[in-house]
Amino acid sequence: MAAAIETRNLTKTYRSRLHGKVNVVDDLNLEVEEGEIFGFLGPNGAGKTTTIKMLLGIIYPTSGEGYVLGREIGDMDVHKVISYLPERPYYYEHMTGMEILRFYGSLFHIRDDAKFEALLEKVNLAGDKSKTISQYSKGMQQRIGLAQSLINDPKLLFLDEPTGGLDPIAHTEIRDLILQFRDEGRTVFISSHELSEVERICDRVAIIDKGKIKSQGRLEDLLKGGRVEVIADGLTREFADTVKIPEAITSFHGDRLIVDMSEEHDLNALLDSVRSSKGSIVSVVPRRRRLEDLFIETVSKKEPAK
Amino acid sequence: MKRNQKLIAAMLVLGIAQGILHAGFIFPRWRKDYSPGHGNVISQLAPDQIFLSLFGFREFLAGILWVRADGFFDDGNYDAVLPIIRLCTILDPKQIDIYATGMWHIGYNFTDEEQRSDRRYIPSALALGKEGALQNPNTYEMFFETGWMWYHKVQDDFPKAVKWFEEAHKRDDIQPARRNLLIWAYQRNGQIDKSLELLYKLSDEAEDRWQQSREFQNHQNRDTIVGNLDTALVRMGQRGWFAQNTEKGKAENWYATGNYDTKPPFDVGFSVKASVVEPKVLRFEGTWNVLPVGTRIRIILRDKDFPHAVPGGMQWDLEDSINLDPPRDTTFMQDELFVRNRRFNKKVDMSRDPTMYPFTKKDYVLEFYYSARVAPPHIQDKFGWNGEGMTDANFLNTSVRPGERVVFATLEISRDQILRMGDWADGVKMPVVKTANYREIGKGNQVTDDVLIDVPALRGGGK
Amino acid sequence: MNAVYAIATTTVGEAIRRRVLLVILMIGVLLLSIVPSLSVLSARSETSTMISTMFFVLRFTSALIAIILTVYMIPNEIERRTIYTILCKPVQRWQFLVGKFFGAVLALAMMIGLMSVVMIALFYVFRHPGMDKLFELGRQSLLYFVEMSLLASVAIFFSTFTTPLVNFFISIGLWLVGTVLNPLYDTISANNQNPVMQKVAQFVTTLLPNFANYDTKNPIINPGTVIRNETVYYLQITGYGILYMTILLIAGILIFDRREV
Repeated sequence: MAAAIETRNLTKTYRSRLHGKVNVVDDLNLEVEEGEIFGFLGPNGAGKTTTIKMLLGIIYPTSGEGYVLGREIGDMDVHKVISYLPERPYYYEHMTGMEILRFYGSLFHIRDDAKFEALLEKVNLAGDKSKTISQYSKGMQQRIGLAQSLINDPKLLFLDEPTGGLDPIAHTEIRDLILQFRDEGRTVFISSHELSEVERICDRVAIIDKGKIKSQGRLEDLLKGGRVEVIADGLTREFADTVKIPEAITSFHGDRLIVDMSEEHDLNALLDSVRSSKGSIVSVVPRRRRLEDLFIETVSKKEPAK
Repeated sequence: MKRNQKLIAAMLVLGIAQGILHAGFIFPRWRKDYSPGHGNVISQLAPDQIFLSLFGFREFLAGILWVRADGFFDDGNYDAVLPIIRLCTILDPKQIDIYATGMWHIGYNFTDEEQRSDRRYIPSALALGKEGALQNPNTYEMFFETGWMWYHKVQDDFPKAVKWFEEAHKRDDIQPARRNLLIWAYQRNGQIDKSLELLYKLSDEAEDRWQQSREFQNHQNRDTIVGNLDTALVRMGQRGWFAQNTEKGKAENWYATGNYDTKPPFDVGFSVKASVVEPKVLRFEGTWNVLPVGTRIRIILRDKDFPHAVPGGMQWDLEDSINLDPPRDTTFMQDELFVRNRRFNKKVDMSRDPTMYPFTKKDYVLEFYYSARVAPPHIQDKFGWNGEGMTDANFLNTSVRPGERVVFATLEISRDQILRMGDWADGVKMPVVKTANYREIGKGNQVTDDVLIDVPALRGGGK
Repeated sequence: MNAVYAIATTTVGEAIRRRVLLVILMIGVLLLSIVPSLSVLSARSETSTMISTMFFVLRFTSALIAIILTVYMIPNEIERRTIYTILCKPVQRWQFLVGKFFGAVLALAMMIGLMSVVMIALFYVFRHPGMDKLFELGRQSLLYFVEMSLLASVAIFFSTFTTPLVNFFISIGLWLVGTVLNPLYDTISANNQNPVMQKVAQFVTTLLPNFANYDTKNPIINPGTVIRNETVYYLQITGYGILYMTILLIAGILIFDRREV
């Protein structure tokens, strides 16, 4: 599959009076494949929006190169087939939903009210098309944003914090729409720090912190390596002391032993030794790793001292 | 070329184009037609006034200030009014009223206790008039007002009055009645032929107006002009103008042979004595042999080295800038001695106005000047327009005013004498300066036969 | 051109709803309507005072609107991130800038137009002038509109690289200076003997945008002034305005092209 986005050593340096040169984006190497939902994760200020702006040609990289849909970034022709939904954008409040679509449509030379109606239908705003944006709720504004970003039938969508500041119901609506985009064959590039959302819909993710990619890959691969919790009763402290499993957390109280261990270690060996010591297994609960764990692990890893 | 280079090149070309358009075409037009003040607006304003003045609020501001100035006029506080006038004219150079009124106040209303105007201000008044005319070249008013100042206040240098009135005449909006004044200005300037020419022209025009519109005013105006024309013709005849100035008259020697009112020249027998009765208070007594009332002899008391002084006056229009604070250390008193019963006797008190008459110099000059040009018509009938019917055994002068016969006498007087200081400090000895021909007569103004100078009976048209 | 048109019309729609502009506009109209009662203060020259004051209100209000309208135009778009939704579409930056400028000009036309109509109506009601006088008033309003468009181009040029507050002061300063450039140069060339000073004055006058050109109310206030080929002058200053606006727009585009938003 061809790459929808590819960057090589993309770097953006700002000069700040206080800190001197700051690499907001540092040697970034990204690869996003066509037709996938790509999650671009990172804490606030990690360089997510800067990266997107560079990919869109709104700001210029200090060094490195980037390609969007096979063309060098900044190529105006690419703008015809991509779209961007910034984080909490403001739309001209005096305009109605329909007028917003007409305005953005005209930027593509599109004058097709039927299409606009369909888009409004799609984002569930058909009934509110004559209301002005000032009368829209935040969720509605985000949905009109999605509608405008679909005007040109884009192959690639950049969504910056698409669910930021929205209530749970709005979350679900937006999430469903994004999944629908993938089904329509579009590539979606989501930048977010709301991990549960991303976990539910993304195919692949990259985690960026302080301008650098910390980890990148398929979600399933990244989240491999869960843990198992074993609870057993009727055991003695002597037995408990013999349980030595690396990176496991053991606790013993009364006659109950609780072991929290990596699933990579031999679970059966532990269960066998419990049974042979006349202990009874109360529960074996495997716990899958979550994106949040990965994120926290990745981001909190100290950079090695230079 | 890259796009950006093209854009920069385009910018430069457009930049040069706008520069040429502005400097070569727009600015000259702006200066000519739209400038609010013909190059002198900013130079006379304080920085904080500049913006307001050029901003479009000027006329309104000037209007408000002018209303404020009115209050000071009512109180007679002319010193406070002057700066306001100046500011108003700068703010709104198109408010003719302010120029006209301001000029009039400066020229007429700075007076001493005896209502003598401060002559040191007249150059400023004239300069204000000049500026007003320059700023309002499309209406007759300031030309007329400035002409009037020369004609009526200065009463000298009549070519100037003629020049301004002629300019006023060129403007279409001049009122018919005001056109008549040029007639008299021509006469005072000795241009009797031009005066007559204008009278004919104006009477034709007045007749036309009356024929076009039978309004009372037109009727009245025509009658006035026709009356003036008649009188002028009679006077020109009687005063021997035609005899002296027409080809036929000259060829046939009319003046020498005919009987004209101006023949023979009449000796006015001028003599004067000036006594300093108190410090800065002078009494002028003297003789002037003209019985009918209406003679006013100009008297000037000035610094001997008064700048730009000319015999019987000064160069009134030497300055172009409007100086609202004339030099305070110079003295220039001008007044008129009114003749009654062939004598004059006038006390001139300069003691109460030290700013107007500072007497800071050592030497002073008293000048006595009489020109037939400004005489009332009944006296002019004898003296003629140029004084040809007038003479004086001692003081006839044909050089101080070329083309005219005037009476002109000077006396010198010192500061000590005027202030009764130094040799005159005892208060007993009275400083007196007089012409050599001055003869004391009896007390007061009594005229006794034994001191009478030979007087022709003017009223009868000569002996 | 489609994009320019779309951006311009959207800008107008937004501008005419900006509260601060509407408040200024209302104050302008209010001031205009009290002028007739003020002008009785200056006896005998009510008409000239009334015209002068009305034009002052019109010009000052328009300038304020022109500046406030334009200085926030681009910074607001950036702050609200609307600009990203536009620039990520096939819209060139110059189209965005030019569109914004034309939007400002259109909005100015509407606001100045409204004030002018009020002014002319009031003048007609209070002074019953002839049609030619009303025509002259309208023409002056039109010239002020050209002036304010030029001012808007100054503000939009500076908005490509300065903050709104700084831009506000620069623009208003340039405008005030621009309204006295001609008289200043006139005075210096008439009164100052120093040739260096004269050259400097000429250079500055030629270089900076000249707003004094558009104040042609003197002949309106002082009738009787005979001006030959008036129309040529009005065309010249309009041409001058267009030239200058183009220069500023090009400069703005050059800067805005490199600007990181």
